[in-house]
Amino acid sequence: MSGPEENVEPAELAPAAKAELDRAFEDFYRAHLRDVYSYAYYRVGNHHDAEDLTEQAFLQAYRHFDRARRESDGRPLRPWVIRIAHNLASNYYRDRSRRPQTPLENADPIVARHDTEAIAEGREELRQVMAHLDGLPEDRREALIMRFALGMDNREIARALGRSDGATKVLIHRAIKQLQEEMSDERAA
Amino acid sequence: MSERRETLSGSTWDVEQLLTDALRPIEPPQRLSARFEDTMAAVTQAAAEELSDWAEELSESELRALRDPRNWVRPVVAVGAGGAATGALLLLELRRRGRQRSQGGLRALASGLRSRL
Repeated sequence: MSGPEENVEPAELAPAAKAELDRAFEDFYRAHLRDVYSYAYYRVGNHHDAEDLTEQAFLQAYRHFDRARRESDGRPLRPWVIRIAHNLASNYYRDRSRRPQTPLENADPIVARHDTEAIAEGREELRQVMAHLDGLPEDRREALIMRFALGMDNREIARALGRSDGATKVLIHRAIKQLQEEMSDERAA
Repeated sequence: MSERRETLSGSTWDVEQLLTDALRPIEPPQRLSARFEDTMAAVTQAAAEELSDWAEELSESELRALRDPRNWVRPVVAVGAGGAATGALLLLELRRRGRQRSQGGLRALASGLRSRL
């Protein structure tokens, strides 16, 4: 039997084990496709590159899926696959010297009031928060995307970012505080 | 819609509510799964061709050298890559067939309409 440190390529498994692995991966793909795609979209800011990133993330995940399951010890694998996407996104920017584009095409507000003025005001608020989010340091922006777009808790975000739970809690707190201060300053100005 | 809270320094934003509204999950396009399937097929094909080209290039001396286990890394890696891609391709093919079955009615209808036009 393989040790926990060893990665066994899917093709090297016995047929029954491989069939089970493939079924599990299909479930995993279905369960996490939207999360990976959402994360990728908010990192790169357009659908074309988000598709590339999502595809690459799942290709990598498949190669290491068996080992990840063995080492997860029953814990959810979502932080693991988001971490793969996170590393790919970091390489994407490093290789192409690009900054994310603020994804505004999906920033339609959830309308609670129905008058036109309130809708217009809500859209402007969302544009502002997205613009300020874009200006945050990368680790703070990452943490907020994971929290609000994917609904990850502090522990999951900590695993995805490779930080401690405490450090992640502080990171998120500071990110929200920075956004709040910048938006208030802008309003006051 | 977000609310603003009054503070000593004036109005401030309910940033958490704004983020909840702005960062909604994004549904992936349906073409993404088909595209993933195509990529896996391309990887499989490339691995198979690499293995085939490599086997055709072997000379007698290389065949003798192959009996040395120290030279087994390359074929094992090639087979591993091809096999991994094939495995994923299989499961995606099953899903594609499932989709085709569900789309069969629409396709038959479209085909029928085309034949009448």
